Amino acid sequence: MTIAPSCSLADLCRADFPILARQVHDRPLIYFDNAATSQKPLAVLNTLEDYYRRYNANVHRGVHTLSAEATTAYEGAREKVARFVNATHSEEIIYTRNASEAINLVAYSWGMNTLREGDEIILTVMEHHSNLIPWQFVAQKTGARLKFVELTPEQTFDLNHYESLLSDRTRLVAVAHVSNTLGCLNPIPEIVRLAHAKGAWVLVDACQSVPHLPIDVQQLGCDWLVASGHKMCAPTGIGFLWGRGELLRQMPPFLGGGEMIADVFLDHATYADIPHKFEAGTPAIAEAIALGAAVDYLSQWGMERIHAYEQELTAYLFERLQALPEVTVYGPKSGDRAALASFTVGEVHPHDLSTILDQSGIAIRAGHHCTQPLHRHLGVQSTARASLYFYNTRAEIDQFIAALGEAIAFFSDVFA
Amino acid sequence: MSLDNLRTLYQQVILEHYKKPRHRGRTQPVDRQQRGHNPSCGDTIDLTVALGTNEQGETIIQDIQFEGEGCAIAMASADLMADALRGQPVSRALQMVEQFQAMMKGQFEFPREFRKLNVMQGVAQFPVRIKCATLTWHTLRAALQQDPTSVNGFVSNEEEE
Ligand SMILES: Cc1ncc(COP(=O)(O)O)c(C=O)c1O
Repeated sequence: MTIAPSCSLADLCRADFPILARQVHDRPLIYFDNAATSQKPLAVLNTLEDYYRRYNANVHRGVHTLSAEATTAYEGAREKVARFVNATHSEEIIYTRNASEAINLVAYSWGMNTLREGDEIILTVMEHHSNLIPWQFVAQKTGARLKFVELTPEQTFDLNHYESLLSDRTRLVAVAHVSNTLGCLNPIPEIVRLAHAKGAWVLVDACQSVPHLPIDVQQLGCDWLVASGHKMCAPTGIGFLWGRGELLRQMPPFLGGGEMIADVFLDHATYADIPHKFEAGTPAIAEAIALGAAVDYLSQWGMERIHAYEQELTAYLFERLQALPEVTVYGPKSGDRAALASFTVGEVHPHDLSTILDQSGIAIRAGHHCTQPLHRHLGVQSTARASLYFYNTRAEIDQFIAALGEAIAFFSDVFA
Repeated sequence: MSLDNLRTLYQQVILEHYKKPRHRGRTQPVDRQQRGHNPSCGDTIDLTVALGTNEQGETIIQDIQFEGEGCAIAMASADLMADALRGQPVSRALQMVEQFQAMMKGQFEFPREFRKLNVMQGVAQFPVRIKCATLTWHTLRAALQQDPTSVNGFVSNEEEE
């Protein structure tokens, strides 16, 4: 057990999140569903309001002052996101609605147009449905085959199995950086090195890593990376795709409409350069600007510091959970892992557990967390999941464990 | 924790049916079978129904059995439903599907004969759990309305509010 520092990151930042002061069922909210979506700091809420109050206008479409201000803020946020993931050029950041749309963009623009029968796509059994279904579409349409990396006994990415699946037919490897169910951190640089040696591209689903760790796309070495703003303190409706510039330039547009064109005739058109080639129609302007504010907010604390604090919380969460004999925890139990724990409790169904904890003001997720094949692989229908963020505290973990104990007691009368 | 709230949801009868279901298995014979599925949580119920005829010549439910995996509410609801509907005409069972849904909206209470089903009334206060309780009833309706010669898929109650 580590000694809590006198002033934790959560102590410093909690007041920035108004929602954390609310009550649920007359108890202070304990929000442990951060892998589903994070809460939003004042800096982000104020940015949204400021845009609508002061300079709401369409972007790239006017010479008037408001439009110029909106465009500057919108493109400025793109530069912030680019710096946040260490992209070399800000035009390599394509705004999307969320990570799912970013993956679909690559699947439709690149996958549908490039892959042929006999080509192979390597995924893992731990993928979120968002990084599975689009590739099923591509496979059904093109005749490409899907192959799946399995898990090690510790329930992490099995590098040996991965190597055995790689071949000259492999064209794409699409893999989560951090699993939203197991919490394992996958060895992306190694995965990329092996894929590139076979001439395959690599897409990283970084939904569960960008909000929590320092991310450097150049160090990771991948070809595309996607994330959702709403899991990293930004509003819903905004996410991004990062891709290598030369690769994005070769890819045909995904959606057609205004904004993405260069010159339009009745029967054909030429397209804008990246990033606008992939941003048809009026985008989520306020949300994009607020994503920039979220990135500023996270950077103000520093991702190293956020990660270090979350590691400390995770160790404590696991220590407390594993001390309960009725609890089975999934995913790696130690090492560099995400601040989340998926677990089951004896004969208590995760849904019932979640309802009981909700009565104590504690929000956790119950279900398959959009990883149904993984749950099947683990041999469980569903799990409960507590997922933390840097505004959570050890005291909240204590209350969560206490409520979990009460829930177990409530049901153990029945199963006695 | 507000145990009182929880006791209205998890009535003793519900917990007992969850722990010791009386109708788990498959009917002999299987005249109807249907899988019900709740895509948001992965819960499944496999219902089998054996049919018969009563003295009035109506088609009746001889037996209902269920298999599958789900939460206490879903499993207890299936067991209670099977208990209540044995021996009932199919037409009455279909009517009770509607009545159960009405009860989930706080708009119906079963008469004496079926009063055990009323233990599910507490679920109405937990809107997100209503579809747990109704899964088995949706599945039953699909089973009873299906063309017995057709190949059946599964029903989902995801559209339920
Ligand atoms: C690993 C992972 N991939 C993809 C997604 C999909 O994100 P979104 O629903 O924002 O597109 C999520 C979040 O639910 C996730 O955790």
